[in-house]
Amino acid sequence: MTQIVRNLTRRKLRSFLTISGIVIGIVALTTMGALANNFNALLDGGAKYYAGYVPVADAASNGVTGGGVLPLSKQGDIASVSGVARVFPTIMVAARPGALQVVSFGVPDYIGSYDPEEDNYSALKTSFASGGNVTASGQIVLGSSFAREFNKKIGDTILLPVKSADATADFVQHSYTVVGVLEPTLTAPDTGAFVNLADAQQLFKEQLPVALQPTFDQTKYVAGFDVYGTPGTNLDQLADRINAQVSGVKAQRPSVIVQALKDGGALFTEITTAAALLALIIGGLAVINTMIMAVSERVREIGIKKAIGATTRAVMREFLLESSFIGLLGGIVGFGLGFAVTVLINASLPAAQGDIFLVTPGLAALCVGFALALGTLAGIIPAFRASRLDPVTALRAN
Amino acid sequence: MIQVEQLTKHYTQGKNVVRALDGVSLGIEKGEFIAVVGRSGSGKTTMLDALGLLLRPTGGRIVVDGTDTTRLSDDRKARLRVDKIGFIFQEYNLLPTLNAIENVMLPLQYARHPKGDREWARTLLAEVGLADRMRHRPDQLSGGEQQRVAIARSLVNRPSLVLGDEPTGAVDTETSDQLAAIMRRMNVQHGVTFVIVTHDIDLAAKADRIIRLKDGKVVADETAALEAVAV
Repeated sequence: MTQIVRNLTRRKLRSFLTISGIVIGIVALTTMGALANNFNALLDGGAKYYAGYVPVADAASNGVTGGGVLPLSKQGDIASVSGVARVFPTIMVAARPGALQVVSFGVPDYIGSYDPEEDNYSALKTSFASGGNVTASGQIVLGSSFAREFNKKIGDTILLPVKSADATADFVQHSYTVVGVLEPTLTAPDTGAFVNLADAQQLFKEQLPVALQPTFDQTKYVAGFDVYGTPGTNLDQLADRINAQVSGVKAQRPSVIVQALKDGGALFTEITTAAALLALIIGGLAVINTMIMAVSERVREIGIKKAIGATTRAVMREFLLESSFIGLLGGIVGFGLGFAVTVLINASLPAAQGDIFLVTPGLAALCVGFALALGTLAGIIPAFRASRLDPVTALRAN
Repeated sequence: MIQVEQLTKHYTQGKNVVRALDGVSLGIEKGEFIAVVGRSGSGKTTMLDALGLLLRPTGGRIVVDGTDTTRLSDDRKARLRVDKIGFIFQEYNLLPTLNAIENVMLPLQYARHPKGDREWARTLLAEVGLADRMRHRPDQLSGGEQQRVAIARSLVNRPSLVLGDEPTGAVDTETSDQLAAIMRRMNVQHGVTFVIVTHDIDLAAKADRIIRLKDGKVVADETAALEAVAV
């Protein structure tokens, strides 16, 4: 190890530049990987959530994100379909109506209806960091990011929806008492706020076009339903049965939603990984160049070592260790810098945005391991050349 | 200890064949101090490289302690070198990034069963007069001091044979005498065989056997006064 470090310090600038090449690549891999991790955690949570129930919405919608209005009476129709265990009415409205958010790495803040019983059926379990369930109108449970964004804790009151700067004079806000804050889930509930169905229906009405509001009896309508099957029920087939037996609704097959989420995640991962790999290939070429130069400069030393008994394998091992060390050092420094970048950027983002990077132990191992492997691979050709040098020729090299 | 039989080494230069060694036969016994002399191009260094198993002869064979080296792989030869042969070069050939004691210990890291250790390396450096220079790097040592380190390095794995290629060729007369005395002392003290290629008449004069080469052939092999071999 001492010899490796001394060899690297013989050409300080060159070693610095070479290691910097790896560092830049690993910083890219760390940040891109953390970005993909965060995005995939969001999608994985979504996939887990959507795999466990059949979302039902207005017939004109895509069956998932709502957008329409359904009579609450459909709840009974759906419940009568064979294989249905429970049907939960749902409403989800924007927490910041009128806000323009073109690009987001997460689910925009929302307010949803909330029935504590649904947690008994849902595949995505939530737990409370503090407080407990909503038991009456005027109470609200906040997702972890939502609570952090508005800096609210149990017992605080919060005015929702958020009034935008250009809101009209008749924009209605309600005051809710925070009764619970959820633990982070890394997916949708984190940016949500949850009220009971009656409060959600009121919000639902207030976000309808003004012309429709006077005649709209919000107690009779919801945006959709979450349908859970009895144990052993195939949910795709259950969706098909609902579509066939209940008019005016659209039940989406869970497998279709999960696949769409996975496809989105895979594409994002491929793009980020490709960008990082490109940077790493450049770093790898720098290592190859450095090691070839090192072999050229140390021909005589290689001759000496061979003369005093170094085998082909021993010479090869020395150069491979040196190039591996370059990779390892670049990997550790690069990951450290990349991690610092993710922490700084996460901390500097507005709370409404939420974290966009997620660094995991697996990502750390991947980055450092990849850099180590890259250094080792890059050293193979130079090490092979060194090990094959003829000792007599090498000893007399200038 | 070493038997050299009809050793030949031919090189091709254009259309010409250079016979660097041309049927050399000789035996080397344990504990001898041998000087190999001859004009430039006589084949001295080639013979030393062959004895050190660094080059593959064109013909003939070298037997080291009963092992015929003719068909050994490069790695087997390397292992034989580290176990039985030490080298001293004209240009010292120390590794610039290592200090004196680290250079001395270098062969030990290539030995599968090292026969020396750090304490032995210290002893050797003390014996060559460098007890107070162990932490110095080559660029902090004079030429004579560097060659003393090289002598200590050649002995650290307790070889039976040390090969020297003009070991006093790059130092002044006084240093040359000191180095010659050290090598002779090591030869006697540790019972190690020395085969030294040299143009240095004073060094050759300290040998108890002088082999003279000419055009790749042994033309004299005797214990003789320096005047008789006329380097």
